[in-house]
Formats: sequence, C-alpha cells, structure tokens
Amino acid sequence: MNYDFSDKEFTLFVEIEALIGNFAKQTDSEKNDPALSEKNTRKALALLSQTPYLKLGLENLPDYNGLVTLMGAMEVVAAASPSLFLSIETSARIFGRILSAWGSDDQKAKLLPALLNGQIVGAVGLSEDTMNVENDPLTTTGTAHHNQVTISGHKQYVINGPVADWFAVAGRMDGKNVLFLVKKGTEGLTIGEKAATLGYEGATISKILLENCAIPADQVISPKSDNDLLATLRLWENQILMGASLGLMKRAFETAKTYAKSHRTGGRPIIAYQEVGFKLSEMLTLFQTSQLFAYRAAWTADTEPKDAESLTLCAKVFCTESAEQVASQAMKILGGSGFLSGNPAEGAFRCAKYGQIAGTSTEISRVKIGDFALGSMK
Amino acid sequence: MDFAFTKEQLMFKKEIIRFAKKEIVPRVQEHDLKKQFDFESFRKLGEFGILGLHFPEEYGGGGADVITTVMAGEALGEAGVDGGLTLAYGAHTFLCADTIFSHGTEVQRKKYIPKLASGAWIGCMGLTEPNAGSDVASMTTTADKKGDTYVLNGSKIFITNGPIADVAVVYAKTAPEKKHAGISAFIVEKGTPGFASGPNLIKMGVSTSQTSELFFNNCAIPAENLLGIEGEGFNMSLQTVEWDRSALLAPFVGASTYMMNRCVEYARSREQFGRKIGQFQAIKQKIANIRIFGEAARNLAYRIAWCKNQGRPMNHLEAAVAKLFVGDWSLAPANDAVVLFGGYGYCHEYDMERIFRDSRLAPIGGGTSDIQKMIISKLI
Repeated sequence: MNYDFSDKEFTLFVEIEALIGNFAKQTDSEKNDPALSEKNTRKALALLSQTPYLKLGLENLPDYNGLVTLMGAMEVVAAASPSLFLSIETSARIFGRILSAWGSDDQKAKLLPALLNGQIVGAVGLSEDTMNVENDPLTTTGTAHHNQVTISGHKQYVINGPVADWFAVAGRMDGKNVLFLVKKGTEGLTIGEKAATLGYEGATISKILLENCAIPADQVISPKSDNDLLATLRLWENQILMGASLGLMKRAFETAKTYAKSHRTGGRPIIAYQEVGFKLSEMLTLFQTSQLFAYRAAWTADTEPKDAESLTLCAKVFCTESAEQVASQAMKILGGSGFLSGNPAEGAFRCAKYGQIAGTSTEISRVKIGDFALGSMK
Repeated sequence: MDFAFTKEQLMFKKEIIRFAKKEIVPRVQEHDLKKQFDFESFRKLGEFGILGLHFPEEYGGGGADVITTVMAGEALGEAGVDGGLTLAYGAHTFLCADTIFSHGTEVQRKKYIPKLASGAWIGCMGLTEPNAGSDVASMTTTADKKGDTYVLNGSKIFITNGPIADVAVVYAKTAPEKKHAGISAFIVEKGTPGFASGPNLIKMGVSTSQTSELFFNNCAIPAENLLGIEGEGFNMSLQTVEWDRSALLAPFVGASTYMMNRCVEYARSREQFGRKIGQFQAIKQKIANIRIFGEAARNLAYRIAWCKNQGRPMNHLEAAVAKLFVGDWSLAPANDAVVLFGGYGYCHEYDMERIFRDSRLAPIGGGTSDIQKMIISKLI
C-alpha cells in the first residue's frame, strides 16, 4: 500500500502545470470560437508533447505508475483549462488508445507518432444519431467491397469534430463492432457545425455524417472481442470524465478559497464565517474523496481489470456528482462575482453537468453497479 | 500509489469475518434489543486476538501493523457485528489501552496491556464532560497533587464502557490556568475510593455499548498513575485521533458492505409485481449508493492508516476529511437500506434499522461533523 505519488510524478505534474497552465492563461481557451479552439488545441498538444503526458495510458513508461499517474496529470490539465482538456484527451487518450490498443502495426506507424507529437488531432465518433442506451447496438455500418469499405451512419456529440484530422468511427461490419479510421476530407464525410453547449465552449463538438463514405480496408480496426470495444471505450471515457471532474473541483475550490480569504465583510475575511468556512470544508471533503476514488479506480484498471468496470462506475458517479456540488458551493461563496461569465467556478458549474451525462450516465452507472452486485437474477 | 493489501492481510480479514459470523453475529440482535453489553462476544474478541492486535507480542498483543489492525475493524463491520460492540472495542483498545501503551511507563504497560489485550479487563477513556465536549479546554475535572497521590474531582459524561470498565484513562486539569497545557492523563482503576460510574445511558443506537457518566469525588490515586508527564494530556488525546479516524471509522466502512450484501440478498429473494425487486431500477440505485459510499469511505480510512503505519505525524486535515465524510455521508446509504427493506426495514428482525440507528453516531462521536468543518476551514 502506498498513498503517495512519487517524486517523478510530482515533477511531471509541475512540468505540465507550468506548460498548460501558462498557455491557458495567455489564451482564451474557454471562448466559443472554433478557429481559436483549433489553434489552441494544436498548440496545447504540441506543448504537451514535450512531456510524457500524451503517452500516458498508451505506452508503458517505467518512471510512472500507469493510469494512476495519468489520473493525477489529467487533474492538472483539466484544472488549467476544461475545454482544452476535453479536446486533448479525446485526441490523445481515446483516439490514441484505440490505435495503441487495437491498431495494426501499419496503422500505428502511420498515425501514432504524429498524434503523440501533437501534429494531428483525433476525434472519435461513438454516439449514434439514433441514440440507444450506451449506443448498443451500433447503427453505423460498414460494407466491404474488394479493398474498400463503405460506411454509412450519423454520429453526434463528436468532440473535436470540426478540428480533427482523423476520426475513429464506431460501427458494425461483418456482424462485429469495429472502428473505421476516416481522414478529414474523405468523400462522403460531412462535418457539422460546432454545437452550442452549456459548458466546455472552448471545445468543438459537432455531428458527423457518413454517407457512402469509402475508406481503404486497411483503415478498419477490429478488436478481437466483440463486447470489448464498446465496454472499453466507455471505460476510457469514464476515466477522462473523472479526470475532468477532479480538475473542475480543483478550479472551483481554489477560486472560492482564494476569494474567501481575501474578501472581507464585517471587518474580517468571509472564510472566518462558518457559513463560508463550512462550505469550503464540505467542498474539500468531496474533492479529496473524489481524488482517492479516482486514483484507486485507475490503479484497479491497471492491476485488477476484472474489478475495474464496476469500481470505475462507482468512482465516475461520485466524482462527476461531486464536481457539480463543489462548483455550486463555490458559486455561493463567490456571490455575484461567481455568477459572472468567465469566473472559473461558474464555468466549472456548467461543465460539471457534462460529466454526469457523457460516458456512462450516472443513472445507467447506478443501474450497472446494482447489476454487478446483484449478479444474474431470475 | 498502490492500493493493494497483502495476501496475508486479505486472508486474515476473511478469518475474522468467518469468526465473527459464527461466534458474534448470531448474538447481536438479542443484545441490541435488550441494550445489553455482550460480555461473551467481547471475551471472544480477546481470545481471537483482536483486542490487542497491534500491541507487541510481549504485552500479549498480536504485533500487527496499523493497516491490518484497521482491517480488523472493517472485517467486524462487514461480518455484521453491531456498532455497539465495535465501539466498545474501539474505546477499549485505542482510547484506553493504546494511550497507556503509548505514554505509559514500562511498569504501567506490563500491568495493564496484557489484561486489556486479552479482554480480561475492560477499559474506557474519560475526556468529555457535561460542559466540555468539543471544547476540551473547558473541562473542570481537576487532579490536585497531594503528597504521593493525585486527588481527582469532577465528572465525565458519554463514556463508552463506563459502567463496565475495570480501568479508565481519565483526563483532568493539573494546572487549570494553563487551559490545554494544563491537562494531564491518569489511570484510574475500578474500585478506587471516590470513583464511581453512573447507570447506562439509553441511546438511540450502538445500544450494546454501555455508556455512562464517571464521577470523581476526592478520588485519590497513586502518583505513579500519572501517564507521561503533567500537562501532556491534551496532546495524548489528540494522538488517539489517528486511531479514531482509521480504526474506529473502519467498522462503518465494513457495515456498508454488510448492508449492501444484505440488500442484495433481500432484493434477490423478495418478489413484487411478479418480479424480484432487484430487477427494478430504483432498487439497483439504492444498492449502488450504498456501494459508492463504502468504496469512497474505505479510501479515506486506509489513507490515515497508511500514514500512521509509515510513522508520519498525523495530517489533521486529512483526518478531519475522513471523519467528516464518514459522519455526514453515511446516513443516506443507511437510509436507503432501510427503505429498500420496506416495512421489514423498520422492524428489528431485519437488522437494517439497527444499522441505521448505529450510523447516527458517526457525525457525533469522536468529534462532531461541525467540529471537523471548523478544523478543515482553519487548516485551509
């Protein structure tokens, strides 16, 4: 047992914070501006490529502790800029892990180095336009003709849709769940306008339409196990949403704490009042509890994969719901200033809702946690 | 980071659960209903080695590390042992015996620890007073040095094991003008003239633990019964907090697993509307809530245990976070468990109502949730 990060991990966190924190402060990374978002995403990926960050979870890095290090590092990036975090993680972590876990040697050689150097941006098309619970079954299909595969389907909520160079699109082919690698500009691929969203405005989210979109057959990724694909993609999504929640909590908590210590009412800083101090205590309790929960879920995914799904769902529910509570409490402490657009707590409050909806929603998560406990029941 | 327990720890946990299910749990409901202390179960805890688990073998202990010791508390809760007995164990082993072991002389250790580790004697700790709960410095119990004795006067309240204890660690002021720095700790044995305990206070939960007032009326004890040195009592009481925030929280963690397992059993067998109720989403949600709480609380309790095991000074912020979370967040899952059982959950026969009542102590005992918030808000 060991509840500490190592010195090397701390050094990495500091390095990442310096790079992405300074960059986020210099640019308006939360602004709703697709052109700026694309520029920021590419710049942020390039900056982070100077560190091992983009490789975490994709490669076995001996100096680091796998997904636990990743979770700690994700918190740092998400706290610096939630929108950049979402874009970066979708590209490096989900698109990247698809390639590193399931891609062929040729696919890896073709895309991974550029992805990890920040030269290309990836996106993942998972949610079907005709939404089923957890997108199962997938309705996007691919049909093989000689050396080509023709894809048809409509995907929604595609993060990085408007800015991505490559898409990994989940669909069915030959009775199996597969992923189609589609390059931007491929005939039959239409990218929708950036969607207006409650939070994460600096990230670009859109629909993508695939109408008889033909790709070479060697751009199909076919994991060995059929169930593995959707379950694993959801696990990865949920891990990212936990990291995002930790960052949002850190952002909201630190903002509220700083304000509570500096803003004075009745001749003393407002943190001296129990209504404020106690709120901060509850926020910190939720934050620290979420941190440990997320770290243990990450550790379990690395060490005891059979227990990872249910524990990750537990942690995901706790972290994402805590993020909303912490951000909400922060706004109360901040008073009017917390209601102004651009305040980190206000932004965290809006972004927090996404975590409960995306990945495995908190409602479905609880049902699944119950199913894990109950087992098969007749 | 590494959240793994050793194989030996996990095997030991299983052994405790097996032992407790066989030897203790069948007696829980009866004693809870009668609000009686289960002396036989307590003795069996001693025989199994739990009461003195972390003390060195030379003092009759098991020589276990902190994590294993905390795990024992979790295992008792997971087996279904009631909060009353685990509280009695906590007060006995950590608040009384450990204070003697940590601050006592070799003579004091050899005299008391073997008896306490075996369960031959029962221990308690007297700190809280009618007008000095969270505000310890306001205590009015005094200990005046007179020749080779200290003479204690005052009273204590809400003392777990008070009516049944053979020995008490008692905090009293040797220098009232110094507030915290004027508090000292003493060992007081049952039967000492001037020392008496009140009747058992009937409580909402943890009913098998016996709770009372302690009275000191010109109670003269030998000067060698001073623990450590004069004025160090407050710091000694603080040192027990590490155990309080790990070993005493662990039974709540274990109880959440027990609750979940009982809810699962019930949901798998109970039928309504032609279906097992476990097939309804509302039931799954409640089971999920219980598990989520338990997993979250477990991490916090073992973080404190791990730090103590490393020999680190206590992190007061993390300790308060752990106590606050278990205190304030444990009530909702206990409520979920009662509701899941419906009318049966409200009846004593199905032990959810006992666990619900037991869980109400979590935000009160060992420092209320409001006190934890005061600590956290000061430290941040």
